Amino acid sequence: MELRRYILKRLVQITIIFFVILTVLFLLFRLAPGDPVSRMVDPDMTPEDAEQLIHQLGLDKPLGIQYLVYLKNFFTGHFGISFHYGEPVVDVIWNRLPNTILLFTTSIILSALVGIFLGKIASWHKGEKTDSVMTIGALVTHTLFLPWLALILIWVFGYKLGWFPINGMISEEVWLDPDAGFIAKGLDIGYHMILPLTTLFLIHFGAYLLIMRSSMLETLKEDYILTARAKGLEEKDIRDRHAAPNAALPVVTSVGLSLAFSINGGALTETVFTWPGIGRELVFSVSQNDYPLAQASFLLIAIVVLISNLVVDVLYAYLDPRIRY
Amino acid sequence: MSTINSKGKKGKVMNRIHGRSRCIWNKWSVLFVCVAILLGVFLAGSASQAADMLKVGLLEEPKSLNVWRASDRWSWKVLGMIYQPLYVRDPETLDLVPWLAAEAPELDADTLSYTVKLRPAKWSDGTAFTSEDVAFTARLINEFEIPRYRYKWQFVDKIETPDPQTVRFYLKEPKAIFVPRSLTIPIAQKKQWAPIVEQAKKTEKPLSTLLNHKMEKPIGCGPFVLEEWRSGAYLYLKKNEQFFGSGKEINGRALGPHIDGLLFKVFGTSDAAVLAMKKGSIDFFWWGVQSGYMDDLRQNRDIRLFTSERSALYYMGFNVRRPPFNDPHLRRAAAMLIDEDFILNRILQGYGIKMHSLVPPGNVYWYCPDVPRHGEGLDREGRIKKAYEILQKAGYTWEVPPVDESGDVVKGEGIRLPDGKSMEKFTILTPPADYDPHRAMCGMMMQEWFRMLGIPAYSKPTAFGSLLEQVKVKHDFEAFVLGYGRLSLDPDYLRTFFLSRNDKRRGWNMSGYHNPDFDRIADKSAETMVRAERRELIWEMQKILMRDVPYIPLYNPKLVEAVRAERFKGWVEMLGGVGNIWTFCELQPK
Repeated sequence: MELRRYILKRLVQITIIFFVILTVLFLLFRLAPGDPVSRMVDPDMTPEDAEQLIHQLGLDKPLGIQYLVYLKNFFTGHFGISFHYGEPVVDVIWNRLPNTILLFTTSIILSALVGIFLGKIASWHKGEKTDSVMTIGALVTHTLFLPWLALILIWVFGYKLGWFPINGMISEEVWLDPDAGFIAKGLDIGYHMILPLTTLFLIHFGAYLLIMRSSMLETLKEDYILTARAKGLEEKDIRDRHAAPNAALPVVTSVGLSLAFSINGGALTETVFTWPGIGRELVFSVSQNDYPLAQASFLLIAIVVLISNLVVDVLYAYLDPRIRY
Repeated sequence: MSTINSKGKKGKVMNRIHGRSRCIWNKWSVLFVCVAILLGVFLAGSASQAADMLKVGLLEEPKSLNVWRASDRWSWKVLGMIYQPLYVRDPETLDLVPWLAAEAPELDADTLSYTVKLRPAKWSDGTAFTSEDVAFTARLINEFEIPRYRYKWQFVDKIETPDPQTVRFYLKEPKAIFVPRSLTIPIAQKKQWAPIVEQAKKTEKPLSTLLNHKMEKPIGCGPFVLEEWRSGAYLYLKKNEQFFGSGKEINGRALGPHIDGLLFKVFGTSDAAVLAMKKGSIDFFWWGVQSGYMDDLRQNRDIRLFTSERSALYYMGFNVRRPPFNDPHLRRAAAMLIDEDFILNRILQGYGIKMHSLVPPGNVYWYCPDVPRHGEGLDREGRIKKAYEILQKAGYTWEVPPVDESGDVVKGEGIRLPDGKSMEKFTILTPPADYDPHRAMCGMMMQEWFRMLGIPAYSKPTAFGSLLEQVKVKHDFEAFVLGYGRLSLDPDYLRTFFLSRNDKRRGWNMSGYHNPDFDRIADKSAETMVRAERRELIWEMQKILMRDVPYIPLYNPKLVEAVRAERFKGWVEMLGGVGNIWTFCELQPK
């Protein structure tokens, strides 16, 4: 009952926060200098054409009316038409979202699994060479500048060695081949994922490793670990069955939030690898003042982050019976 | 005791784990590399099927294939292969030559009408291209008042189609831009667009509905037709078997296309595209190669670089609505101070052309060679002395003059306007360096050159949207640096940029230049249908503009394009680069 009340309370909070985000987003884009039409530097575009386009886009209406239209669009799930694509924003996002989710969710899960595993080992060897190597390695890879790492990987493995494609998500040779089946196309996507996935993995696994390591070190000081040892349990059992599940809680929070933020994609990763995801669209829509597309993209991120927070909180209660709301 | 035991045991356990994990990691890494190589071999195996397909690298994905909506250059690189105009430019002379038209337009001065005979042609769906398609396109533009096209057609009063191969346009008034601008727009198929137009008319916002129509299979008369568009990955155009030029000679050129298709691949960055070019993944990168890549590309024997002139103009503009730049003497002095040679040799590293007029020299017919050339042939000191002389004669004074009593150049300070007031500091708005490093650097250099004369200039890199809003919408600025990368070859833009009545919110007369003489000549140039007479007027306009200098032309960057030399031959060089309709019609596999 208490958990249910807590969830209801959080839902009310989320609704209020969401409305604030909704309004701030609207104002932010309207108050930013420039509008979508003033960027059109084609001399063939007369002032009359510009005014007409502004009218077509609804930007000549008072701000209050624009806000009401914006709210109406949101509640009817319409989100408006992208100024640049001329397509419903929902369609533009829907086309790109699965690509982003595929790459980033895979990278986060992979990074988390490896990070937890290595963090566990590092903490078990605290102060030893293994710990130093892993900790320093994690710190180094985690602090690398992502575009630099990506370009190095592209240059070495894509260009010099020629093992992997240097950009994109699919090969036209496979997708234009009428004989290519589902498996070949799936393998093609997997093949294109290797370099961006490696980049994201190298950048992210270190964070999970460090979180897991420090959480494990705290856990290993607990009395129940001493009790387990006193009972004569195998070291592996103590580490894997008693310490690790409890130590993994902070990693769960981190993974939950990372998954939420993966919706926006890494604009940098997607740009360097020309991965057709939502991150690139986000950058494009903001730089080109494509208000509907930018607003919808940010709202999507806001919704997912808010809900993920709630899910992580609830999951905490499930994973750790001591936590009660 | 227990700790020692535990440690010893733990050590053994961990050694085991270590050994095992190292073994596992080794296995995994070997497996990973093997799988990757196998995948590569497997996927590369199917590459042979597209031997005669030209792979073109684009920096961004086209935004729309709706011909009425598309405004980005990426969409037009694709649409230009599908939709065709009545006339195109000859690659050498830049004169208009019949394309979908069979011959030059015939003017009847009495009725103010043009008659155009059409070439027998078919749309890519096999139906005949007729005068009805041309008339439909023009009527659609006027009826919907389609932005970017409207001003090219609004003076057309009536269109007749006496027979399927003839179309006659009656103009309301003489218009010089009719042939070079109106008759060079893409023609749309009536059969495909008529139902869309009817549907749009029934809606609350017909224009929006028309512009937002998603065109998935555009039908055109061009050499290629859309086969498949994989959003975010590639866009494949295959050879149009119905192309009217196939196997024929047009404008003295034997046309194909001789290639099976065009594959447009999207690269997010120039880095990726250049690597793909070096690797052989693309045959042509349809975008200017930046100077940083050139040495590397030149060393590659399989890559050929083409350097072309562009119809472009990069310039410094002044707000002549208010002091201090409402004074032409100050603008002339500023023009005198700008060292174009430095800009070309140091900032553009030689990849640019000096601009003496606001019409690029590559546009040979309209370019006026006899305009005033400010500071040409002078060194830095000579420029400062000349600028000082101009301003001194106009009544400007200094606390510390830039030229001392012995005639040596020193740093000028405390410049005063002819009315005795101190010149206030002013900003030169430039795009930021991440948008265009050349223009940002030009702003910095001009700031220093102006300061040598005591003019308190400050270069201010500004976000592009904000810059345009300040200059074009709010008119709240002193000076700016902007550019047009793709100017029309018809010089009517001179009129658009400087006509007094275009000095309005969002108008193209961004400087606020007002000159009744210029307006009169400009309006006359717009009505003069005889080309040679019009040229005289256009030349006169250039002379006035370079005398009054509301804009100072800075440079015209050269375009360097990279192609793989070993697969195709027949690249046609012209103003604007090798990515042109002639190239795609003439290119042949080696």
